[in-house]
Amino acid sequence: MTAIEIESLRKSYGDVTAIADLSLIIDDGEFFGLLGPNGAGKTTTMEILTGQLSPDSGRAAVLGVDPATQPTVVRERAGILPEKESPPSFMTPREYFDFVGAIREMPEETVTEQTGVWAERLGLTAKLDTLSSDLSRGQQQKVMIAGAFFHEPDVVFIDEPLANLDPIVQERVKRFLRSYRDAGNTIVVTTHDVDVAAELCSRVGIMYEGDLVADVRPAELDTDVTLLDVFLDNVDATVNQIDEPLTHE
Amino acid sequence: MSDARARRVFVEMLREEWRLHSRLFRGSHFSLFPVFICLLIGGAAKLLVVTGTEPETVFAGLHALVFVFGLHTGSIGFVGQDALRNLLGDVTLLVFSARTLPLSQNTLLGLFVIKDSVYYAVLFLLPISLGTVLAVHGFTGPFLVVETVSLLWTTLALLFVLGMGTTIAALGLAGRGVPGLALLAVPLVAVGAALASSIDVVSYTPYGLFLAQTPLRAGTTVVSIFAVFLLGAVTFDATAPRPARTVKPTFRRWWRRIGDPVATKSLLDIHRSAGGFGKVLFSAAVLFGVTAALVDFAGQLTGVPPSTGISFGAILGLSGFTTYNWLTQSDDVDLYLSHPLSVRAVFAGKFRAFLLLGPLIGLAFYGPALAWRGGPVAEAFVGAVLLVGVACYIFGTTVYLTGLSPNEFLFDTPLFAVFGAAMVLPLVPVLTAGFAISPLSGPLLTALGGFGGILGVVGVGLYRRSLLKWSERYQQV
Repeated sequence: MTAIEIESLRKSYGDVTAIADLSLIIDDGEFFGLLGPNGAGKTTTMEILTGQLSPDSGRAAVLGVDPATQPTVVRERAGILPEKESPPSFMTPREYFDFVGAIREMPEETVTEQTGVWAERLGLTAKLDTLSSDLSRGQQQKVMIAGAFFHEPDVVFIDEPLANLDPIVQERVKRFLRSYRDAGNTIVVTTHDVDVAAELCSRVGIMYEGDLVADVRPAELDTDVTLLDVFLDNVDATVNQIDEPLTHE
Repeated sequence: MSDARARRVFVEMLREEWRLHSRLFRGSHFSLFPVFICLLIGGAAKLLVVTGTEPETVFAGLHALVFVFGLHTGSIGFVGQDALRNLLGDVTLLVFSARTLPLSQNTLLGLFVIKDSVYYAVLFLLPISLGTVLAVHGFTGPFLVVETVSLLWTTLALLFVLGMGTTIAALGLAGRGVPGLALLAVPLVAVGAALASSIDVVSYTPYGLFLAQTPLRAGTTVVSIFAVFLLGAVTFDATAPRPARTVKPTFRRWWRRIGDPVATKSLLDIHRSAGGFGKVLFSAAVLFGVTAALVDFAGQLTGVPPSTGISFGAILGLSGFTTYNWLTQSDDVDLYLSHPLSVRAVFAGKFRAFLLLGPLIGLAFYGPALAWRGGPVAEAFVGAVLLVGVACYIFGTTVYLTGLSPNEFLFDTPLFAVFGAAMVLPLVPVLTAGFAISPLSGPLLTALGGFGGILGVVGVGLYRRSLLKWSERYQQV
């Protein structure tokens, strides 16, 4: 079954082409990684798939729904962890979960139960009633992760999910993501961290200058080839930069 | 911070402000703003002179308005506290750079205030001075025009700075608990006592300096400005470390009553951001003061006692603009688009929050105005209808023109011109009736009440029409 389908997608911001001509199919239950350097078009792709942005041309479908014409239907069925957003400054994590539950029309008992589960899972229990503005970046990231999975969606779009998290919580989040995928859900992760993509994803699409330049399954790579090798082979500019290492001198 | 570094930061802040606005409004739009202000104020001053107002009265009224404007601008202190904690969105300004560079946050905030003063002085007060002088005196030769404009500009700028400093100092004192509030009462009581004793307090202000340029008046002006800013610098601390705030869960309780998550969040934002609901009341209080002065002035001008209900009702309805501004201060559409909410639903939430807060704030000042100035019950009722109608009208117009960014986008000259015309056209006939006709006949009152209702309906209609426009706009960016 197809979870996500993208066909000849294009998007520009003035003279800058963010997505050149992107076509892609992601199946149900895949852990798909969109990997690429900064400005490759990953976040724009994510924003189009979640109906936050309209494409210039082409079409996309998430669980059979067109995000350009039915954005709220897509967002009802999907979970989203945006890269830039943090929880509202003047709400506590508990209130943010209440807010998410109210928008998603979840029963209050379920919201209360899920709040407890997620607070326990991410070590947020002591901070549930602290204003988000007074939380650390890592704690804010935990709140946003919980918000994305709160309603147990079939498809989740997550942008740099491990940013700002300490190693212990990173490991817990990774385990949770794997178990979530194992339960049959689809996860699309956007990252520029090759190690994260290699470790977590069953399939990785490498984006460069708005194009999908490679589509690989890390587990099926030859033993002497790493995902970083594939990445560098396909992203020319980065190779040149890597040949001139940044040193203190 | 050394002088050279402070100068460099100040220049960069000016450049940053210019780039911010010229990028938002495509350069040419923004640079037309002073021209528009000059024409608008010049036109209003000319109208007053032509209708028999003494030039001295025009200059006095202008100074009073600029002082009030300064007082209101000082409420950036509310925003400043949150801005320095980076709670207001995704813009990174130089004023935040103390986090990453070896710069003092208090110095940066001071430079930020000076930068804002320079900006307002050049973009608002200079064109206002030029427009007023040309309208009142005509072109009496280049030397005389330059001399009069320079004097007026200087005293207006000083009064603006005094007003801004007064609010910042008051906020600083108010934030220091009971001792601060007690200290705040001292100058208020002193000014009140001086006025009661018929001491001409005004002559020691920048307006006094405008009337007569004596060393004493120059000295008192400088000392008063220095005093309020010193007090502000000592007491106002936007960056004082504070313990992490733990609060009782409130969202769910409020949401059960309000019934809309976006409206609930918007009201919670105001409640918990610096100044709480007090800042909304403060903005309306400034408008209340202006209304009282305007009503007195109109009474002197026409020789007819103005209608308290009609005049206060119509003008206090304008507080809807500042209320909407506070409701949109802490978020933008992006925040909501990662949830299953349409742009339409976001605006519907803002509308509901506005309906719960906007008319209530206006009526909170309308009641005391009626108690203070009195008036027939029928006029009081029609005034209340006008207040709610004008508040809904200004809400609908603002949403239609500026979406969720009411403050920034009004610096776009064509947009500002449209907004100004949309406010002036319906309000002038209402205020003319309120100021110049007494007593108001039954049919006229009925017509005014009906007009208030129509304004409300137009406001809601504009809001509804704007939904499609903003839905498309926010998804294309």
